[in-house]
Amino acid sequence: MSEAAATIPDTPLFDRAGSIRGYRINKMAMALGQPANRAAFKADEEAYLDSFGLSAHEKSAVMARDWHEMVRLGGNLFFILKISAVDPTPITRIGAAQASMEHEDFLHLRLGKKRNG
Amino acid sequence: MAKIIGGLGTSHVPSIGAALDKGLRDTPDWKPFFDGYEVGKQWMRDAKPDIAVVVFNDHGNTFFLDRVPTFAVGVAETYNPVDEGWGPRAIPAFEGAVDFSWHFVDKLVERHFDPMVCREIEVDHGLQVPMELFFGRPEAWPVKVLPIWVNTIQYPIPTPQRCWDMGTVLREAIESWPGDERVVILGTGGLSHQLQGARAGFINQAADRAWLDGIANNPEPYRAMSREDYVEQFGSEGAELIMWLVMRAAMNSDVNLIHKHYHAPASMTGAGMVVLENAA
Repeated sequence: MSEAAATIPDTPLFDRAGSIRGYRINKMAMALGQPANRAAFKADEEAYLDSFGLSAHEKSAVMARDWHEMVRLGGNLFFILKISAVDPTPITRIGAAQASMEHEDFLHLRLGKKRNG
Repeated sequence: MAKIIGGLGTSHVPSIGAALDKGLRDTPDWKPFFDGYEVGKQWMRDAKPDIAVVVFNDHGNTFFLDRVPTFAVGVAETYNPVDEGWGPRAIPAFEGAVDFSWHFVDKLVERHFDPMVCREIEVDHGLQVPMELFFGRPEAWPVKVLPIWVNTIQYPIPTPQRCWDMGTVLREAIESWPGDERVVILGTGGLSHQLQGARAGFINQAADRAWLDGIANNPEPYRAMSREDYVEQFGSEGAELIMWLVMRAAMNSDVNLIHKHYHAPASMTGAGMVVLENAA
């Protein structure tokens, strides 16, 4: 499955490797479903990330809201969306960041929205 | 025996619920989407089901990666909406069709499925949004629910054929149930969307429109497609469409496509619905 899936360009599937690689990031993000954890995240983001054992690289990706890098590190959108909920960041901006496009261009060229409409 | 009164397919995009929460129903972005569902809501009012079987996937809200059931079935008395990170939503809890759900579990295991059986569990937008789309925002939901969770998040996800097979068992469970309830089956998820990777934002309107007709009139190719084919045609998250096959397999091979609706984009998704009834 993983090998075949790798033939679909620019489409990472959340497979065994991703699940293992991203476990800490995803566990940290999953916990943001709890209001108390959201409060801790807002109060001291780095301390919150430390409490889940994130590496320096993982921490910097989260703190910079580098969505593309978070996914590359095994973050799955459905979990890391909970970070965007705290901010809040619209999901289309997360899409645009991964596509390396300006937000307006992403809405128009990828999603087919009319410009200014 | 209980009666299957219809099979519905629908998207379950979380932004749909958020749009309703924020009062955005009639904004230019959302009005065409919601207007197209009015015929589905009217169908549901006329059909008066007692039980809604909802086939959906959790999105990292109820299940974490510490335990990932390929298929899970709810047998709870009540399902509360889960906080997905944006805070609790003001929608009523869902009452479970407990005895019927256990009967379905019995049938599944008899037919060599091995579901996780969930006695106490919350439900995310995968179940909430389809219920809101077809029942609106009632004080209390007019039906009891049987939730079926399908893993579409972590690979390996089940094959389309396996989802189809589950639908045939669902039909058998409904037809062997001694009650006289009217049952509607909701297959949810899709249509095309991709949230992850540099192809994020991929929408395939042509494939989506073909799906809405094909799932009614010629579902065989979709049953035979590989998971990779789904990802390629519908995007990494568009592979959720395999869950519509559970619904479709529970229906007669000949169905009438009563209503269909398509709108893109709803957030980052090609969104749509079908209403199917068994042909006489």
